[in-house]
Amino acid sequence: MVRTASRRVARLLEQRLLSVVAAATAVILVVLFYYPVATVFADAVLADGRLTLEPITAILTSEFYLVDIIWFTAKQAFYSTLASLALGLPAAWLFARFEFHGRETLRSLTILPFVMPSIMVAVGFVATFGRNGTLNRALSLFGLPTVELLFTLEAIIIAHAFYNAPLVARIVTAAWESVDARAVETARSLGANPFRAFRDVVLPQLLPSIGVGATLTFIFTFASFPIVLALGGFQLATIEVFVFAKVRDLAYAEAASLAVIETVISLTLTAVYLRYEATQRAAGGTANPLPRRSVVPDTWTTKSALQTVGIAGYSVVVVLVFVVPIASMLLASVTGGDGSLTLTHYAFLAERQVTGASFQVKPLPAIWNSLVFAVGTLLVAVPMGVTMAVLTTRQYRGRTLIDALAMAPFAVSGIVVGLGLLRGLVFGVDVFGTRIRVTGALAIVAAHAVGAYPFVTRNVAPLFSRLDGRLVESARSLGATRTRALLDIELPLVWTGVVAGAAFAVAISIGEFDSTIILAEGSGSFTMPVAVERLLGRRLGPATAMGCVLLVVTSLSFLVVDRFGGRWGEL
Amino acid sequence: MKLELDGVSKRYGTATALEDVSLSVKDGEFFTLVGPSGCGKTTTLRCIAGFESPTEGAVRFDGDSMVGVPPEERGVGVVFQNYALFPHMSVGENVAYGLRFVDPPGGVSKDARVSELLDLVDLSGFEDRDPDSLSGGQQQRVALARALAPGPDLLLLDEPMSALDARLRERLRRQVKRIQSELGVTTVYVTHDQSEALAVSDRVAVLNRGRVEQVGVPRDVYRRPRTRFVAEFVGENNVFDGVVKRGLTDRQASLVEVESRPETEGVGAAVERAEASEATGAVEAAEAAETAEAAEAAETAEATETPRTETDSHQFVLGGIDADAGDSLTFCVRPEHLHVDAEANQIRGTVVDSEFQGSTTRVRLDWRGRELTVSVPDSEDESFELGDDVVVGFDPEATHVVE
Repeated sequence: MVRTASRRVARLLEQRLLSVVAAATAVILVVLFYYPVATVFADAVLADGRLTLEPITAILTSEFYLVDIIWFTAKQAFYSTLASLALGLPAAWLFARFEFHGRETLRSLTILPFVMPSIMVAVGFVATFGRNGTLNRALSLFGLPTVELLFTLEAIIIAHAFYNAPLVARIVTAAWESVDARAVETARSLGANPFRAFRDVVLPQLLPSIGVGATLTFIFTFASFPIVLALGGFQLATIEVFVFAKVRDLAYAEAASLAVIETVISLTLTAVYLRYEATQRAAGGTANPLPRRSVVPDTWTTKSALQTVGIAGYSVVVVLVFVVPIASMLLASVTGGDGSLTLTHYAFLAERQVTGASFQVKPLPAIWNSLVFAVGTLLVAVPMGVTMAVLTTRQYRGRTLIDALAMAPFAVSGIVVGLGLLRGLVFGVDVFGTRIRVTGALAIVAAHAVGAYPFVTRNVAPLFSRLDGRLVESARSLGATRTRALLDIELPLVWTGVVAGAAFAVAISIGEFDSTIILAEGSGSFTMPVAVERLLGRRLGPATAMGCVLLVVTSLSFLVVDRFGGRWGEL
Repeated sequence: MKLELDGVSKRYGTATALEDVSLSVKDGEFFTLVGPSGCGKTTTLRCIAGFESPTEGAVRFDGDSMVGVPPEERGVGVVFQNYALFPHMSVGENVAYGLRFVDPPGGVSKDARVSELLDLVDLSGFEDRDPDSLSGGQQQRVALARALAPGPDLLLLDEPMSALDARLRERLRRQVKRIQSELGVTTVYVTHDQSEALAVSDRVAVLNRGRVEQVGVPRDVYRRPRTRFVAEFVGENNVFDGVVKRGLTDRQASLVEVESRPETEGVGAAVERAEASEATGAVEAAEAAETAEAAEAAETAEATETPRTETDSHQFVLGGIDADAGDSLTFCVRPEHLHVDAEANQIRGTVVDSEFQGSTTRVRLDWRGRELTVSVPDSEDESFELGDDVVVGFDPEATHVVE
């Protein structure tokens, strides 16, 4: 075998490429995630270059912080978890045990909230529960007194349920469908009545998934930011909201200390969750799932009638929680102050674009920025995510550590990453005497990429792990380098996961609010969600119009995810 | 190409997969690694292919060390048990994949090389088919064509037939053997099926617990197993432990006394060992022979019933062994060498099980609580009814001593 020198060099490069990309991923993670988070930690424990625990102890001994902020954060997360379970478990029961028209469609729609920008959902809830919202209009239509739900704990909890009940439903449905019908039949044949069979055979197999869904919901709602900001105001503030308020006041040490406390709690919860999930991973699918019934019973008995009534009632609740807020937003965007249909809100946006002052939010730059950041996120997050998927599906020493380090961005809130990037790279860092600064735009792409790449990994990794290792070995023994085998064999076989992951990355970038609002502060780099938030503070109509634009863009992402993604039960 | 393994060891943490394996495969040879699952045969193959690197020792191709050479630089064709065809490529693209990296041997075009190889495995015209549309046997032949297309110097086959049914397996292995000798490519074949190993190989290496037990041509390994493991793994065997009482007539024959062990201990050990061999996936034959071996209850040569005691023993006459009185030794007798009409070395046992296998019937005798296996030709098998007491014996020359 004679090879030219250039071919030899190319081969050498190919053999090393995977290691190079892996190293680059590590560097990016360190620079864009670990360093900023470390900056926040340093801010919290350093004062004038000396180590001090003063800011943290000040918070931990302050009744205001402990009760009004931290305890409230935990309380609302707990109630939100209960609400999500109450709303999600019946859905799992319906999805797993009943056959009805549109079941598959509804089931795939449960991923939609995941890609919906939370600030847009918040706008939807304002449009529903606000003083002139859909709910009060409906009430006054029937001559009933109006209610004030905005800026209450209830509104926050319902909005959180909007996000997390579908998650609970997905996870529990997957577990329910993997219950083997023969196990129930065996229990029945041994003398158990249907209730006992459910309690003794089915329920124990569902509990782990319910636990996983509840823990995830708690973690997510504990770190919830835009929903609480928009629906709670500063009267009802979670840790995240208060960190944001402190950043706005330029009280960085206090913000950092709060952020550290929150991060420690979140990381602990996530560590517990990951341990739990590792031991409880569902076997996935069975050849003999429990049979599905029709929602309309064949014979009407008291029991079946009650069941049907229950299902009907539940459907009404689902429509109220999931459909009404989105519909309200759409409606509000085309409704004038007098209640007539109008396009003035969209016209307002267009007019603002033409005549707005430089400090005002213009719609086109927001849309443009969102798209540019999304593309940037895509370019960074997809290679990172795919590399991580390759690394995490291989067995080697220290893998658990790599897994944990790589998935940490999952657990650290965008506020913390944003704050760290702001305090570090955006304000400037001295490296070997050179001052290095990045622009707000670059920092935003960095924050989005860090937040998005775990989703790419989670979409691609299951496909990778299902690939037979012999495929790559066959390719290599036939002369392909490791990189060629990845390009020729593995990527073509997992590309659906890559596309779904990419769509996720775009959706997350477009909807990302937490770090963007911190980094966009005082710069021109605002995005659609930031524009929505700024408009929301002043006029609901244009905010809903902007929200509708967001809805269109993220719905497109959902269509791609739904077309190419497959394994959402795991998310 | 000549392949050498020189003192190859492979450890994963504290677990040892291979221990000091040295083998030498001649150019053009069909060489088989055989052993129970977990014996290290697949690890050996993966070290040769370069998917694993040995912890110690070296793999050499024509004398060149392969340390640090990645799989793609070794020029080795590999065929796996599950075919591992690239599902997103057609049959033709699969076969042509290796030709992306080297020019087809013989100066022909890629297309010509692909159809040449598909001809060779009797799949002419299958170029555009989807691998999923083929049967298991066809997929395996595509995998073989793909491995051979770049003209490898060495072909590695990792249990390539295990997923196929018995009849197809036999046909395919004849085809593989024919193609191998036509091309003259050095081949290392891995299988757990000892009968397959004996049927196709020029030479076999029997592996056990990461070590090479014996290397040799199939006939030698069957007739003269070097160790007890080989005796029990390759074919069925009845293995006895004994002590030499005295040499008879100038060592033409020796009298060997097989001591019995206390019944309870014997049974316990036998059960324990049967479980252990089950856990490691050892084949049935090994298990049965272990039981038989542990079953050395005492009985005299005349087969008269004597009371069983801890010192009970049974004496056998063995031919042509080189041992002094007082030496301990282990010997084995193949089931086909136990006959009803044999005059020497008679044993009385009870028939506990009988499996009709066509030309022979495999009978298991209970000999004082332990089992012996007898292979009875079709013509004699009426004399073995379940529960019968029968006497079998064996020629002193039909025994073989193992280490």
